[in-house]
Amino acid sequence: MSAASAPLSLADLPGDLVWRGRRFNGTPPQGHPTGHGALDAVLPGGGWPTGALIELFTARPGIGELSLLLPMMRRCTADRWLGWVAPPRQPYAPALAAAGVPLERLLWVAPASPAEALWATRQCLASGGCSMVLSWLGKADMAALRRLQLAAEESRTPLFLFRPASAAQQPSPAVLRLRLEDAHGQLAVHVFKRRGPLLDEPVLIQPRPPIDARPALVAAPVPRAQVHPIRQPATAPAKQHLPVQQAAVSSTPSPTLVTHAVVRPDPARARAPGDPARIA
Amino acid sequence: MVAANAAARQLGITAGDSLAGALAVAPALELLEHDPDQARQLLTEVATWASAFTPAISIDPPDCVLLEVAASLQLFGGLQRLTALITRGLAELGLDARLACAPTPLAARWLARHRPGSAITETGALAQPLGALPLAALADGSDVSRAALELLGSIGVARLAEVAELPRGGLARRQAATVSTTLDRAFGRQPDPRPRFDLPQRYHARLPLLVPTERSDTLIFLARRLLPGLAGWLAGRHAGVDRFRFSLEHEGRHPATRLEIVCAAPSRDEAAFALLLNEHLGRHAFPGPVDALVLEADHPVALAAVATDLFDDTSLKRESAQLLLARLRARLGDEAIRALSPLADHRPERAWRLVPPGSNQPPVALADAPRPLWLLAEPKQLTHPGQLRLIGGPERIESGWWDDHDVRRDYFVAETPEGGRWWIFRELEAPRGWYLHGFFA
Repeated sequence: MSAASAPLSLADLPGDLVWRGRRFNGTPPQGHPTGHGALDAVLPGGGWPTGALIELFTARPGIGELSLLLPMMRRCTADRWLGWVAPPRQPYAPALAAAGVPLERLLWVAPASPAEALWATRQCLASGGCSMVLSWLGKADMAALRRLQLAAEESRTPLFLFRPASAAQQPSPAVLRLRLEDAHGQLAVHVFKRRGPLLDEPVLIQPRPPIDARPALVAAPVPRAQVHPIRQPATAPAKQHLPVQQAAVSSTPSPTLVTHAVVRPDPARARAPGDPARIA
Repeated sequence: MVAANAAARQLGITAGDSLAGALAVAPALELLEHDPDQARQLLTEVATWASAFTPAISIDPPDCVLLEVAASLQLFGGLQRLTALITRGLAELGLDARLACAPTPLAARWLARHRPGSAITETGALAQPLGALPLAALADGSDVSRAALELLGSIGVARLAEVAELPRGGLARRQAATVSTTLDRAFGRQPDPRPRFDLPQRYHARLPLLVPTERSDTLIFLARRLLPGLAGWLAGRHAGVDRFRFSLEHEGRHPATRLEIVCAAPSRDEAAFALLLNEHLGRHAFPGPVDALVLEADHPVALAAVATDLFDDTSLKRESAQLLLARLRARLGDEAIRALSPLADHRPERAWRLVPPGSNQPPVALADAPRPLWLLAEPKQLTHPGQLRLIGGPERIESGWWDDHDVRRDYFVAETPEGGRWWIFRELEAPRGWYLHGFFA
């Protein structure tokens, strides 16, 4: 009975004989990589599902909810749009360009009413002319969500629907539902619905580029930048209105100081020599 | 009476009757006014539409359009399929047509009238079917005089075969030489050149409605009848249009409603046009019942021939991307459909602008400091800046004194107690307030 004395551990069993609860049933279709390895590992198909409604719940802006999708946005092909339907604020072009998003493929739809936003979202999906669609619908009932899910499935276009955290309690036909929260500068992604077993631990990722931490309280005095503008010689007053010179920067108080300044010419210096000063 | 339909013919009314006579036979007769102008317009419309099939077209008034199709048979898959295409297309235009095919224009015309559906491709095969036609066919579309027909009738000739056997010299002596030349042209023994129909520079089609209506679904249905003509005109020119005008003429004194329909890219796709027209008509309110529809287009743009490759659907995808843009624009308006472009300006609120989607992006030097993905349209003053923790900055932005949008600010990246990352700034001018300007989303 020597064989029985050593108890079998689960790991020793051949994998194809034992079904484990954590495994996905069957092979889910290949998804689009999210660009975040830890997230890919928990998503069925190893990424964002192709042709599905994906709900993202956030309580407040600014925790990295858009940065999460930037790797996917960068892959937008030249013949299809990157649809943004009814974003609640202005998407900022310099930041998107810096992140490598192809702005010439951006399609920002600003509908006048929630009904039009829903219509536009469905058109973006149904046409097959978008590589992905981001949509901010105020309220969406079950029927509307189901139609969106169907349209996404038929056109094989992923739809990312941003919704307030309070809507997470509602039932939904979405294939993937994620709650996004901040976790000390990182983004905690709670995958609370997926095609597969439940996941109890959030996935921690770092979608935003880190910022040099330089703790400083607002109450403390703000370091003053020192600007040494290169000015026009005083003998050329006619050119004084043109912003011809970029300020040269030399900063000492803070190593992270960046200055962009085009400084107003000093009226006292702009005067020709010998011209009497006028008193205001 | 110019024409009578089947029901009228059953009552004993034939074309050529006098109005009084016809009304005496059938008092309940419904009369429609014959408008020769409209008939001519209709022929032009048909000819324009048919230019999708062949470049050699001739209008043969008052009721015939001649197409030379010998060179088009290969492309359209044979005479039978071409005929089916033409019949179906004419039905879509709301027209009922009789088709016949023959090697000479006169023979084709006669056969279309008397033996619709004939398809003769050899001159040699003409003798039998043409010979069987009644004598009256001879005057159709030719300059054979009424007197010559009466002469032939009086000597007991009833069929064209019998006319063909009459001696030429005898006919000539009796002022009926035109009979011989007409037959020669019909049988292909003499050339019969026809004036060629030139495609108009502008497309114009008008569809008068028998019953004025303002129901948009009826109007959409009727408007679709005008589209094949436009598509044919464009196909004949190997071109597309990126905009066309659709006008609805109203009864009485109301001015016509004009719709300017803009496509995302030049196109001649009837289905795309119909979709756009649907969107426009569906949301439009009309001042009164509509009694005519007018479709106009000009400035056709040459389109590259579409390569129909079985395995390559990239052109299809691009088309659907353009169609999406056009649909969104039609329903939501031009200003609701936008894209972004960065601008070279240090001031954050001026470092971008709205552009139409698909615009080329100029290369712009971007700031190397962090920029937020969301920007507030208006900076929002912070009431409790003390709660924030500064984690990046300062970045001084001082610019714009020359255009009265002076900006003098120190920008910081700040973290809120809840973990949000904000882009905030402090004014350099008194009272040195703190403002929220964006979110690092």
